[in-house]
Amino acid sequence: MDDELAEITAFVASIPPFDLLSEPLLGKVVREIDICYLRAGEHLSSADTENPQLYLVRKGALRYLAANEELTGKYCDGDVCSIFCQKENITTPPCTVIVDEDALVYRLDFIALKALLIDAPEAIEFLENSSEQRLQSKKKKLSEDAIVSSSTSHTSVADFYHYPLATISPSASIQDAAIKMTDKEVSCLVVVDEMSQFEPSSDAQLGIITDKDIRRRCVAVGLPISNQVSDIMTLDVATIDIKCSAYDALIAMTSKHIHHLPVTKFGKLEGMVSTTDLINNEEHNAVNMTSIIHKASSISELVRVSKLLKKLQLKLTKLGANADHIGKSISAITMAFTLRLIEMAEQKLGPAPVPYAWLAAGSQARQEQLAHSDQDNALIICDTMKPEDDHWFEELATFVSDGLAECGFIYCPGDIMATNKKWRKPQKKWHQYFDLWVDKPTAKALLNSSVFFDLSTIYGDVSLLENVRQKMLAKTQSSTLFIAHMSANALRSRPPLGFFRDFVLIQDGKHNATLDLKHNGIAPIVDLARIYALSEGIAAVNTVERLTQCSGTQSLTKASAENLIAAYEFLTSVRLEHQGNQLREGQSVDSYIDPKAISKLEREHLKDAFKVIKAMQDYRQSAVI
Amino acid sequence: MLFLNSLFGYEARRKRLLNKVPQGALYDFLSVPFPSESTALSDLSIVSVDFETTGLNAATDKLLSVGYVSIDKLQIKLSSCYHQIIHIAPQLEQQNVIIHQITDQQKSQGKSLQVVVETLLKALAGKVMLVHYAQIEKHFLKQACIELYGVSPPFMILDTLAIEKRKLDQRNIAYDPQKLRLSTLRHTYALPNYFAHNALNDAIATAELFLAQQKSYGITLKELL
Repeated sequence: MDDELAEITAFVASIPPFDLLSEPLLGKVVREIDICYLRAGEHLSSADTENPQLYLVRKGALRYLAANEELTGKYCDGDVCSIFCQKENITTPPCTVIVDEDALVYRLDFIALKALLIDAPEAIEFLENSSEQRLQSKKKKLSEDAIVSSSTSHTSVADFYHYPLATISPSASIQDAAIKMTDKEVSCLVVVDEMSQFEPSSDAQLGIITDKDIRRRCVAVGLPISNQVSDIMTLDVATIDIKCSAYDALIAMTSKHIHHLPVTKFGKLEGMVSTTDLINNEEHNAVNMTSIIHKASSISELVRVSKLLKKLQLKLTKLGANADHIGKSISAITMAFTLRLIEMAEQKLGPAPVPYAWLAAGSQARQEQLAHSDQDNALIICDTMKPEDDHWFEELATFVSDGLAECGFIYCPGDIMATNKKWRKPQKKWHQYFDLWVDKPTAKALLNSSVFFDLSTIYGDVSLLENVRQKMLAKTQSSTLFIAHMSANALRSRPPLGFFRDFVLIQDGKHNATLDLKHNGIAPIVDLARIYALSEGIAAVNTVERLTQCSGTQSLTKASAENLIAAYEFLTSVRLEHQGNQLREGQSVDSYIDPKAISKLEREHLKDAFKVIKAMQDYRQSAVI
Repeated sequence: MLFLNSLFGYEARRKRLLNKVPQGALYDFLSVPFPSESTALSDLSIVSVDFETTGLNAATDKLLSVGYVSIDKLQIKLSSCYHQIIHIAPQLEQQNVIIHQITDQQKSQGKSLQVVVETLLKALAGKVMLVHYAQIEKHFLKQACIELYGVSPPFMILDTLAIEKRKLDQRNIAYDPQKLRLSTLRHTYALPNYFAHNALNDAIATAELFLAQQKSYGITLKELL
C-alpha cells in the first residue's frame, strides 16, 4: 500500500501470527487498529462478549489474574493478548487482565479482523485456538517436518521387508538349511514347526538360523552338517509387526544386537527385515556404531567410539528425527556400551556365581537419554546368592561403572549406581524396597528413589526385574497414599508462567534469567506419566508409551494424554535444537535456554506447553487433596 | 484572554463567519458547531494534525504535506488516518526536501493545496484540533485559508507542547526548552521511539503523547484549552 505507517506495520508484522500475512493484508490490518493508552490498574474489558477484542502490547505491561487472584501470566512489549478471542473463552474469560505498567496498546476488533483475514485462516486459528489445539497443530507440523527430512522414522516395516518368508523345519539338516539359503538368496531362515509350515503363526516360530550360526556354531566347531537345524538355531527370537515403523525395527535390532527380525502380520509370520535393508535406506549410523561397540576389544576403543555419540545426536537432529527416536537411538547405544563392558568384565572375572540382571534406571531405562547424560544403574541378583558372592558383583559394578565414566557417562551424582551396595541386592531385597516405598512413602524417600520406578533390564535374567515390577505394580495400583505422595513430589517442579521481557516469569511474578527446560518443562511431564502408569498398573517406562497406554483410563483422559504428548514432543524438540546448536559450537550440552534466544513464535508454543502441564498438575493437586 | 474568548468566543466567530462565506468546503466546516467547553475529555472528538513545511514563516514558506488521525473516545483510530503530499511550484522545493524525505516521485503524486485543505476542513468540522507546538499548524492553516477563501476561520486547538509547558511552569523551576520537543517528551512519558518522520507519523506520535499526558480522563475541554 504505502509505507506511511511503516513502523507500526513492522511492529505488527513481528508478532505471530501476523508474520504470516501478505504485505497488502497487513496494511489493511494496521488500518483497523485503535491505539489506546491504558493506565496502571485499569482492567481490560472482558465483559463485552459480543465484541471480543485483541490487544497487541506496544509498550508497558499487562497482568493476567485467575479467578482466585493467582497470577497466570504477564505480557509486555511485543506480546499479543488473545485471551478474549479464544473460542473457549468468549463467554467466560478464565482470568481478568489488568494493566500493570501504563501501556500503549493496539486494539483490534476480533470480528472485524476475522472478516479481514477470511483468506488467512491459519492466522485466525492461531488466535482463536486454545493452547492445547495450538500444541496439537505444532506437533503435527513437527512430524510433517520429520517426514520430509527423515525416511525410516515414518515409513513402516512393510516398505522394507522380504517376502515370502523362507522357513525350515527344526529337524532338517544344517546342510539342507545352507542349500535352502543359497537357493532363496537369503542369509536367514525362520525355524518353524513342520505342522504349521503353511500358515506359520508367530507362536509356531521356534527360532532362526542365520549363515553366521552355520559358520560359528557348526563349521568352526566341527559339528557335522548332517546335524539338525535345532542344534544351532537361535531361540526365542523377537518379531516385529508389519505396522511398526522401520525405525522401531531398527531400534529393536540395535538394542538386541541382532541383524534379522521376522515380520508378522495379524500374528502370522510374513517376512523378514534385516539391518542392511534399513541402513541402505537411511543415512543412519546408530546400527554401525553398536556394531563397532560390540567388536571393541578394549576400553580405550570404546572411549574412542563414545566420542562419536555427540556427533550422532547432532546428525540425527539435523536429519529431523524427532526426540523420541533420538532418545531411543542414544539409549540403545548406551545399552551397547554397557553390554560390551559387562562382557569384558565377565571375561576378566569369570562367570557370574549366580544369575543376575544389570538394570538401567532413569532416562536410559525410559529410552529418553541424550548424549552423555549421567549413569543410573543397579544390580538385581538371584536370591540364591551367598554373602561372599557380592565380591564378584562389586567388581563387575566397578568395572562397568568406571568404563562408562571413561566413555563420558559421568557417575550419578546421587550415587544411584550398582557400585553402591544399597543398589546391588538380591531380588528379595528389591521386593522389600518397593514394599517399603509403596507402603510407607515419605516425600523424601520418594524424591531419592522415584528413579527406580523407571527401570529396565540391560543384560541378564529379565525375569528377576519383571517379577519385582509385577508385584510392585499390583501394589501401587491400589495404594492411594503412595500415589498421593508421588503426586505431591511431582508437583514440586512447576512450569514457568511464560516470559516477561527477556526473563522467564515464574510463580508469584518472580523472574528467572534462564529457562530450565529439563526441570521446569520435561521432567514434570515425565513425573506425571509415571504417576499415571503406577496408578494404572502399566509396566511401560517410556514417557510417550506410558501416556499412550494410560490414555482413556481413569487417570488420564484421551484428550489430556494427547495434549501432554504434544507438549512433551514440543519441549524435547526445543531441547534437541538447543543442544544441536551447542554441539555445533563445540560447547558442552545442557537444557538451560536464554529467553533472548527464543523467537516470539516459540515463546507462544512454550507458553502453550507450560499451560497444558500446569493444568494437569493442578488437576493432580486437586486429586491429591 | 478570558475576556477575548467571551467576546469573540469560538461559537460567536463561527456563526459570524458562516453568514459571510459562500457555499463550499469552508461553509460546510463552519456549519458544524464546536463542541461545548464542558465536554468531558472522554467524549471528545479530536483530530491530531501535523504539517511538514518548507520553513517556519507562514507568509513566505509553503506547506509540503498534511497528516492527520482522529481520536474518538480516547482511541486513536488508524482507520481515519490521512497523509497527503501537496503539489508545489518547482522553484520552491529547493530547501527542506531532505529533512522531510519527500522524494520527487512522491511530489509528482501531490495534490493541490485546495484539495488537501478541503479534506482537512471536512475532517475537522465540529472537532478539536490537536497539534504539538500550535504556531506552525495554526499559522499555515490560517494562511492557506486566506489564500483559498480570503478569510481565516476559528479553530479549536489543543497543544501538547503548551499542556506540558503549563505543567512545568506550575512547578516553578527552570527547565531546558529542549525538554518540550515531541521526541523528548515521548521519551519522558515512556512512549516507544519512532523514527520515520512524516506528517502522519508525527500526528500519531502527538496523539499518543496527548493520551499519555492526561492523568484523568474526566477533565473537560475547557481545562485543556
